[in-house]
Amino acid sequence: MQPIQIFKLASQQAEWLTVRHTVVAGNIANVNTPGYAAKDVEPFKAVMEATGTKMAATHSRHFSDSKLRDSIRSNEINGIAVHPSGNTVNLANEVSKGSGIKREYEINTSIVKTVNRMMLATVRK
Amino acid sequence: MDPLSLSSRIAASGLHAQETRLRIVSENLANAQSTGDAPGADPYRRKTVSFSSYLDNATGASRVKVQRLGLDNSDFTVNFDPSHPAANEKGMVKMPNVNPLIELADMRETNRSYEANLQTIKQTRELVSLTLGLLRNT
Amino acid sequence: MNIISQTLSAIDTGPNATKQTEFASLTSAAASAGLRAVDDVKGPGFGEVMAEMAGGVVGRLNQAEYVSMKAVQGEANTREVVDALMTAEQSLNTAIAIRDKIVTAYLEVARMQI
Repeated sequence: MQPIQIFKLASQQAEWLTVRHTVVAGNIANVNTPGYAAKDVEPFKAVMEATGTKMAATHSRHFSDSKLRDSIRSNEINGIAVHPSGNTVNLANEVSKGSGIKREYEINTSIVKTVNRMMLATVRK
Repeated sequence: MDPLSLSSRIAASGLHAQETRLRIVSENLANAQSTGDAPGADPYRRKTVSFSSYLDNATGASRVKVQRLGLDNSDFTVNFDPSHPAANEKGMVKMPNVNPLIELADMRETNRSYEANLQTIKQTRELVSLTLGLLRNT
Repeated sequence: MNIISQTLSAIDTGPNATKQTEFASLTSAAASAGLRAVDDVKGPGFGEVMAEMAGGVVGRLNQAEYVSMKAVQGEANTREVVDALMTAEQSLNTAIAIRDKIVTAYLEVARMQI
């Protein structure tokens, strides 16, 4: 019984999406904080390539989220995007990022659900 | 720690901060005409609120909190009104340094930020129900 | 039941003894202890494979239980719980399907005309 790879990949993407959602939530909460620099997580592909082998938990009861936390970056913004208070959060940007995360998560769960249903269909009478 | 519950906690901290800000705005607006009661006394001084983000070390999340409530030290406006109880010997009354326009603009911004945080909480809830939906109908 | 055991013991002494032994031990669920390796077959025997699989299923169920308990205590990641439960469900369903097949086959053998 070889576990199907898509489940693992989907779990990793879901983890990345939730961490990214946390970061977006932090940005939105700090939209009026003076001197706050907006943060973002590196793209999923980059995270996978950088930590590809490390992402695998060493124990089945681990979920390695510390690796993802390392990939949170403050993005450098200069010029007119910076508020006089030194805040670099663009609220519209963050809200659209949030809905993008939700859409990707929806796709993710739909895929997992469908594959799971297909797997179960093979053993069901 | 589940990143999703972390998201709603961060958003809740944002909501709390914006609530405090709205409270200060309403205090300022309510006291826009509060003068002193003795001749020459200082009127209501406008309050300010300042946020700061703090990094929760255990979870690595950047939450927001009200750093301090300060006072606006700008000058009071002075009106000529000899019949006022707070008028000094020249008939001048110190009025609060509250500018309703600034307060209203502040209120709009608070409203917008509050909505954005609320949206985050809603989104978090949707993500959780999507996750739990995996267990349903299978 | 008497007939079945008689049939089995009758078959057991026949030329197909090894296969039947394997089969009989399989039907006694996941008890891997009593399994006898088949001498003339290289690699793990059918029984061993089944026992290993049953062990895997039990392991996944345990994992799902562990994660669910953590979830009840409010410590676990939602997605982790869902993943564990889904894996356990898949394994259990597979195991049930295989068990049903084995039972069907067993009954077929039991009903065999001698």
